[in-house]
Amino acid sequence: MNNFMSRASQCLVIGYGNTLRHDDGVGVEIAEAIAAMNLPGVEVIARHQLVPELAEPISKSRTVIFVDADPAASAGTALLPIAPSESKQLMAHAANPRSLLALARDVFGGNPKAWSLAVPVEDFSFGFGLSHRSQAGLRSAVQLIQDLVAGSTNLA
Amino acid sequence: MSKRILIDPVTRIEGHAKISIFLDDAGKVSDAEFHVVEFRGFEKFCEGRPLSEMPGITPRICGICPVSHLLVSAKAGDAILAVSIPPAAEKLRRVMNLGQIIQSHALSFFHLSAPDLLLGWDAAPGQRNVFGLAATNPDVARAGIRLRQFGQEVIEILGGKRIHPAWAVPGGVRSPLTGEGRDKIRAWIPEAHDTTKLALDIFKTVLQGHQQEADVFGDFPSLFMGLVDSNGGWEHYGGKLRFKDSNGRIVADQLDPQKYFEYIGESVQKDSYLKSPYYKSLGISGGMYRVGPLARLNVCDRIGVPLADAELKRFKGLRRGAVTSSFLYHYARLIEILASIEFIERYLEDEDLLSHDLRADAGINSLRGVGAGEAPRGTLFHDYTVDRNGILKKVNLIIATGQNNLAMNRTVAQIAKHYINGPDIPEPMLNRIEHGIRCYDPCLSCSTHAIGQMPLRVQLIGPGGRVVGEATRG
Repeated sequence: MNNFMSRASQCLVIGYGNTLRHDDGVGVEIAEAIAAMNLPGVEVIARHQLVPELAEPISKSRTVIFVDADPAASAGTALLPIAPSESKQLMAHAANPRSLLALARDVFGGNPKAWSLAVPVEDFSFGFGLSHRSQAGLRSAVQLIQDLVAGSTNLA
Repeated sequence: MSKRILIDPVTRIEGHAKISIFLDDAGKVSDAEFHVVEFRGFEKFCEGRPLSEMPGITPRICGICPVSHLLVSAKAGDAILAVSIPPAAEKLRRVMNLGQIIQSHALSFFHLSAPDLLLGWDAAPGQRNVFGLAATNPDVARAGIRLRQFGQEVIEILGGKRIHPAWAVPGGVRSPLTGEGRDKIRAWIPEAHDTTKLALDIFKTVLQGHQQEADVFGDFPSLFMGLVDSNGGWEHYGGKLRFKDSNGRIVADQLDPQKYFEYIGESVQKDSYLKSPYYKSLGISGGMYRVGPLARLNVCDRIGVPLADAELKRFKGLRRGAVTSSFLYHYARLIEILASIEFIERYLEDEDLLSHDLRADAGINSLRGVGAGEAPRGTLFHDYTVDRNGILKKVNLIIATGQNNLAMNRTVAQIAKHYINGPDIPEPMLNRIEHGIRCYDPCLSCSTHAIGQMPLRVQLIGPGGRVVGEATRG
């Protein structure tokens, strides 16, 4: 896994969450699974949380996929387009995807296509490991990202 | 009738707090208190855990300065094992701590404070953030984000990840710096120097137009405490404790951090989870001391690297005796960034950093051990008591932000007295009060182990304790 990109990428996958809170870590696990595949043109960043420094690698990418746990994702793993935030608030260590996209555009001049990959989860209690629901979401998310990279999912 | 002003939540600091400002019968500010209103309790729930887990658990206290907890926890473990760690391990720990100082100070200056300093106190609240900074000073915003990134890179290259690396362990560290990692860090150095020079130039210009703030934002006599080396030089990892007073006189020197409890008392305040440590010999009424960049530069005689020493000379020339204005924490922070870059540059020439002789192995040889070091915000202590099996029986943590608590109260009162007259608090005045707190760059996640973001509430309180005015944000 390239934890900090030094060059432009076709597709940047950012998985984030707390692996000590069971399903909250599913984004990180998906990022690690994608990184292990060494997909051409794909850079992967796994993070405990989103931070402002991610704005620069985001700005250098053509497509960015933010992967996170979503307890409200009742219909299954969902890939939704997202745009830079209108609100100009950014916490130092609690950024969100849309504010990072705004920062990437306003400070680093890059405006990639961006997607939020919301993975259904159910267990945020303390401890390692994913619930059955989250494991299913992981498999589905990995497939979606592979399809995207292979061009079989049209995100244009 | 006297009144209380409440500022709740305080914004752009790490954690959750509120401020109470007390008015007397004449409507004048009589006192102020900074309350920290959340609690996590690491000291308690670490009891019963094995010593070996502590460098893995305690960095979870904070997402901004996990490295400080990691290193100090490992040092407490060193003391319990009663080992001297290999020289290469100490140097590597030092490099990681320097990376931590850079990233944390860059965050404080560029993300949290520069919007006030460059956009002005009267700018719209929605603009006083890094986006507002990007709109008016895009090069500064970009450089600031990248400087923090440099510090994070140093940590990640050494520890494998930038947040919560479990790399330092009792007895040493797990892995050396690689040649590739050394080259990566080295490649960043020129840009890091350029950004720091830019920031120093900006702050010096800002200071010319902010003399009133320098006089009002926490300028009062107090003690200062920090680690120094055996020659009185700037320290951030080892060394002994030194206290200086506001006249610049050394009050106590070369105090063993292992015996911190002989010099530092801990008190608690009503309505706050933040401890209020004080210099024991003078009691809580006279023993208020400040820690962190301002204190470290006040207590040291020199830094030990040329560019930072030249800045230190200018810094010390700002006041006779100690530099007592908390507004100048900003300047001190930038000087410490410069020092950290220079020291990292120097360490990169040391082949020891590539050594694989990194750990001293031992069993439990002492039932109590104290780790101390300089976190970005000030001196950090981890005090562990274990049983013969290395199971934690007692944990005491003294965090930088807590040690600045009494000074933060004084700072808020000073600013409020200057700017508030009556029950109304215009927003720019609110922001000045908040900035007084922000000068200390408090990390409430650490000091109380608060969860969540950092809003602010100010309450105006009358003499009978009745809330007569209130402003809330966040």
